[in-house]
Amino acid sequence: MATEHSTFDFDPGFVDDRLRAVWYVFVGALLLVGAWASWLRITGGMQSTNLTSITPWGAWVAFYIYFVGLSAGAFLVSTLANVFEVSGMHRVDRDALFAAIVSMVVALLFVWTDLGRMERMYHPFLWRQATSALSWEVHAYVAYIGVLVTELYFSMRYDLARVAEKGSGLRARLSGLLTLGRRQTTEASRATDLTWLKRAGVLGIPLAIFLVHGGTGVLFAVSKARPYWNSGLFPLIFVVSAVLSGTALVIVLYVLRTRLFDDEPVDRDLLDTLAKLLAAFIVTDVALTAIEALIAVVSFHPHVVETWHIIAFGEMSWSFWWVMVGLGWVFPMVALTSRRWRRTPWAMVLAGLSVVVGIVAVRFNIVVPPQIRPVMEGLPHGAYFPSLVEWATSAGMIAVGLLLYTLGAELLPLTPLEGGDH
Amino acid sequence: MSSSGDDPVPSVPDVGQAEMDAMVDAETADAREELAKTDHDTDLGVAMAEDAKAVSRGELSADEYWERYDEAAEAEFGADYRETPNPAIDSPDQTISTETAEDLGCTVGSMESVACGLSGADGPEAADAVDDQAGSDERWGMVIDLQKCVGCDSCTVACKAENRTPPGVSYNVVMEEEHGEFPEVTRTNVPRPCMQCENPPCVQVCPVSATYKMDNGVVNVDYDRCIGCRYCMIACPYGARYFDFGENYDDEVQEAGEVTSPEYGVDRGEREDGESPVGNVRKCSFCTHRLERGEEPACVETCVGDARNMGDLDAEDSEVAEMAESSRAFQLKEDEGTDPNVYYLK
Repeated sequence: MATEHSTFDFDPGFVDDRLRAVWYVFVGALLLVGAWASWLRITGGMQSTNLTSITPWGAWVAFYIYFVGLSAGAFLVSTLANVFEVSGMHRVDRDALFAAIVSMVVALLFVWTDLGRMERMYHPFLWRQATSALSWEVHAYVAYIGVLVTELYFSMRYDLARVAEKGSGLRARLSGLLTLGRRQTTEASRATDLTWLKRAGVLGIPLAIFLVHGGTGVLFAVSKARPYWNSGLFPLIFVVSAVLSGTALVIVLYVLRTRLFDDEPVDRDLLDTLAKLLAAFIVTDVALTAIEALIAVVSFHPHVVETWHIIAFGEMSWSFWWVMVGLGWVFPMVALTSRRWRRTPWAMVLAGLSVVVGIVAVRFNIVVPPQIRPVMEGLPHGAYFPSLVEWATSAGMIAVGLLLYTLGAELLPLTPLEGGDH
Repeated sequence: MSSSGDDPVPSVPDVGQAEMDAMVDAETADAREELAKTDHDTDLGVAMAEDAKAVSRGELSADEYWERYDEAAEAEFGADYRETPNPAIDSPDQTISTETAEDLGCTVGSMESVACGLSGADGPEAADAVDDQAGSDERWGMVIDLQKCVGCDSCTVACKAENRTPPGVSYNVVMEEEHGEFPEVTRTNVPRPCMQCENPPCVQVCPVSATYKMDNGVVNVDYDRCIGCRYCMIACPYGARYFDFGENYDDEVQEAGEVTSPEYGVDRGEREDGESPVGNVRKCSFCTHRLERGEEPACVETCVGDARNMGDLDAEDSEVAEMAESSRAFQLKEDEGTDPNVYYLK
């Protein structure tokens, strides 16, 4: 599609300068709010939160597992292209990988902010505990980020080398740097890249499914003291909802970047494929959640029954019915039923955003309700809604992710320069 | 009622100083009569007592006193005199000169050193508590008799005072439950310290091994290693762990943070903002610092109904071990598999 000329004219940023300005002002404002709140959090300590000893985990943990899930999901979508070689998917390969990396950075920011002693965040690398899921997770995250960066490198190196060779200015210099010295633009070098890309992807799939996101589910599932989490199905639901949110994110990014950055028409067939995938994941997520709920409620375990009661009818039940069920499942499912809508970019952006927001409620409803009922009868009940500082720091950390992604999308060849497949 | 100075104060008899002294004399036992009951020399005893009074009046020096009686006492009491430390020789506040002390026939050694030797030999059970590193092999356990617990919460208060825990942190609580309908009601009080589980879930989940089980059975928290992730609080089936949010009692008590408890034997000095244990997870340590001094935990010592018992679950003649094995004994949430070292008697 692209001519020789357009390759040299590599300019992947915003097409509309006014939109660029508005976007950066918006992200900048969020960053300022986040910086102010982070200052309050660092100086005021954990008192700046609404957490208590009854409900010790809150918004930051919910966002942390949310972004880990988003990352794992986006990564698994990328493997459809570079491991399973589904035709047409190469268009979103790098985008998904880059979004996965940015999501992990945001996830780690959240878990760091959540530590009572932030200055000791390196301790898990000095001291370990073989039976601790969290101890394993920390290492899995590092390995996973390593795999993601490796994959993105092999996926993008050929184009980086071409931009460095034929382009000019900041982008060419940056691209040259990122090739790490491997600047060949021969077909042989490209084949080597694709081989290594596939190898890293094959390693990354079990890492992402079982260790990174399954493992984050295990982190909760091992907790026998909280019977609501203590279920074998739990890590599986984690993975499915992760893939769901990741697919939705990739749809949103694909449409927005193609329209706003590349100024190209959206590939309707690709959109349709992604939309069908999204529908399949919604069905799986709903089914597994229903099975989990049925097993839990029919078991008559008082703790689990009461936790479901809190979720469905408690003070925060609106987040379950409106956000998790409504935005996460029902609205996108309706939008995905029609072939015409599935091929309409803006309808799919709405459906995707709806899922991306809905899964936030899924994460909150995982983390908070089991900490409302006390572990022992006779101890006080918990109550939790994030404080202003918790919300504002969260907005700030999400803005860091938005900024990183936008900068990457403006500077890097996230869309293959040939347009379609490698 | 008149308040003039001449009026007798109610309940104090209107008698003069001399009459009161006479009353004391009347009550005092006759020295000769008392000493005659012993196998030892009455005359020597009376003479030593009279001169001892002279020493306390300052008419005779302690050195002169001991020089005068050293030989006679050694002749009278023999080995008992030679092997017992002389209370006058008790550095650092010894009342006689070193030369005199060295001339005396009795052992030169302080009372303090003898007291330490005694408790090591055959002291009461709690006195056996010595430092973990010193090679002791206790497995500390607590038995709480629920029939004796009256729900007064004094254990909770004593614990807060002893461990100087900040607002929101309470190592011991009493869970109170009412059952039935009026007038057929009963109330159960279940005190809840840390269970010091044999299989502690908190230890299993800690990503940095900051919380671990000591040889004496107590689950320790290393405040200098803990990163404050609160995973242990999620994992504890007893809700026994608390996060230190850094709050203080400064509004209620002046200089509330001046003194902290040397938990797990570590003295951290004053409580300071941003310094551990602020930002860490905290919990009951069975008052390890008291156990190491040979004392019982504060909650056990204070319990008005004597409902709480502390001891070595592994010792042969241990009372707590016996109670823990009785048919009345049970543990909280036994099906969790945590095997707590806190037992309850129903």
